[in-house]
Amino acid sequence: MDRIPSLHRRIKELEKISFRRGRILSFTTVRHPPAGFGTEPYPVALIEHEDGQRVIAQLTREGLTAAIGAEVIPRLRRIRTMANGLHVNDLKYEVVTAAPVPLITMRAYVLALTGPAGVGKTTITRTLLSLFSPVVEQVPMYTTRRPRKSDLEPHVCVSETEFETMVARGEIVTHTVLTDHLRYRAGYRKKDIEAIWKQHKLPIVTTDIRLLEGLSKALGREAILSCGLLPPGSSHRRMLSALLHRLRSRGSDSEQQILEQLKTAEAHLKAFDTHPHLFDHLLVNDELDSCVESIKEIVVPQN
Amino acid sequence: MRETVYVLGGGQTRFGELWNSSLSDLIHEAVDQAIEKTKIMPTDIDAVVIGNMLGGETTGQAHLGTLVSGFLPHHPPALRVEAACASGGLAVHTACALLESGKAETILVVGAEKLTDVSGDRITSALMHAADAEKDAPSGLTFPGIFALSATAYMHQYGISREDLSLVSASTHRAALKNPFAQFRKEIPPEAISKSPLVADPLRLLDCSPVSDGAAAVILSTRRESPVRIAASQLSSDCLSLADRPSLTSFGSTRTAMSRALAESGFDRNSIDCIELHDCFSIATLIHLEDLGYCEEGDAIRLFKDRDTEADGSLPVNLSGGLKACGHPIGATGVKQVLDCFKQLTRQAPNQVKGAVRALAHNLGGIGATCTIHLLESSF
Repeated sequence: MDRIPSLHRRIKELEKISFRRGRILSFTTVRHPPAGFGTEPYPVALIEHEDGQRVIAQLTREGLTAAIGAEVIPRLRRIRTMANGLHVNDLKYEVVTAAPVPLITMRAYVLALTGPAGVGKTTITRTLLSLFSPVVEQVPMYTTRRPRKSDLEPHVCVSETEFETMVARGEIVTHTVLTDHLRYRAGYRKKDIEAIWKQHKLPIVTTDIRLLEGLSKALGREAILSCGLLPPGSSHRRMLSALLHRLRSRGSDSEQQILEQLKTAEAHLKAFDTHPHLFDHLLVNDELDSCVESIKEIVVPQN
Repeated sequence: MRETVYVLGGGQTRFGELWNSSLSDLIHEAVDQAIEKTKIMPTDIDAVVIGNMLGGETTGQAHLGTLVSGFLPHHPPALRVEAACASGGLAVHTACALLESGKAETILVVGAEKLTDVSGDRITSALMHAADAEKDAPSGLTFPGIFALSATAYMHQYGISREDLSLVSASTHRAALKNPFAQFRKEIPPEAISKSPLVADPLRLLDCSPVSDGAAAVILSTRRESPVRIAASQLSSDCLSLADRPSLTSFGSTRTAMSRALAESGFDRNSIDCIELHDCFSIATLIHLEDLGYCEEGDAIRLFKDRDTEADGSLPVNLSGGLKACGHPIGATGVKQVLDCFKQLTRQAPNQVKGAVRALAHNLGGIGATCTIHLLESSF
């Protein structure tokens, strides 16, 4: 219905409006217009001006595609034609910038398992890989040491120079010197992590505190779901005894190597206390199944 | 409640596109049914309240209170109330207030609407009368468009998908299969809902309650007793335009009405056995269940994924088919919801919840600008 006096009041009001920018809070496309608005669909948005005032208005056809958060400026445009042929003008908004990149972006993340040698990182990783093979994948570690028969995890062995070149080119996302048997350099390639993300899978790294620190600097702390793994025991001494027992029962290392691994383990256990910001969860690996179950719950929270 | 208000029973017409019935035909049918079912003498009725939104716009008939009064031999005092889609709930609330005040002892409450006498674009315009005529309507926004603004924001904020949203209408269509009064007694799979034509993006045709004709009537009394009483009757209001609200994804009026209704009745929300909910659009169902306090914000879709809203589920919702599948003759809806709750509590519902003792009727006007909540309790 065309109420002429109400149009008159609206025109008076438009004269007073200062043309301000705003942002789209929400939008829709009206497919079945009400009487008087023709038959073609048109977009309508709820817009918030810089001063906080909100208006509901059509969007112009020129301009960018509407999106929540996109910036708009008002234009005076024909909005409909009355039954007697008179055109009615009103404000329409033109989308001038795309939606801003939100501050918190939902992004892929890396599941990092950190803990001293012998705590069960490898066993847990292998269990996770076999249970959820379509959705998880382990990130291969690049090292400068020779491959070993006892290597259970994917390792790519390269020479010192190759490693150095990769670091210089910025291909390595984090690296450190490991000392479990020999001293050697180790790190992860950014490309490998990104390739796993591209397949919409969850990359797993079984890592060391220094690699974890580097990873968190390179990818951003929020991109890492970090679980620290502890051996069972009520004190560091008891935990170390548990590790010692496990390392000895493996039978793959000499007594000297075991002692060195224990020293590193001690440093790791301290790091859990001194670097709490690097860990989202600390789990005690006293029973494999329950530990895997906890990680599963962390990754896929139950409702 | 200051007085015990009993629901004696009621009746309704089928909801749908009823080309052969006029507004007064529909009211006649519902009133006759109500009087017959409750076995009262028409002269026992000492007041009439009718809820209707668009009598003037779609049928050229205003002054509806007197219209209904004229159907009764003794012409009791009568009034029409209007709060857009909550007109029916408001009629029940007004009747409760009259009964509590002692102005009347037995009231005939009617809700009625006749929409299909005018063309679709005229109805689209008329439905916008529920929104703010100066802030919302000049842009050419439609009523589905307003809920679409809410839906876009909700889907953006909580990341629910098109497929998720389709579960809502599918569930009400399933429920309506058994309801002889329902407009659509047809099961519709979620895939068909996702493919139905767009009305206002992202809402599709099968997300929206239909344009319907129909009437419903209930008789409330403080004098005559019945196994079912009204334990709470609450009305709340908010600003008219969505542009003036702090949130696009939650309606304060529902939250206010619900907390007051729980306080008035002394009920725990988890003791309520079934809910008739104002599901004018699929997105509204999700928002209402969150506002009523049955789930966290953004979480309501889980109830539909788990089929918790069915008759044997943990939270039966809209077993009549709701507005979506049973139909939404605007003013009739709120009265019909109370009637459906009464049927549940007296074991007469086609989709009966076993041993239902407490029921909730939630009626909404505009986009949450008005809300009425009625809690019913049975000693059946």
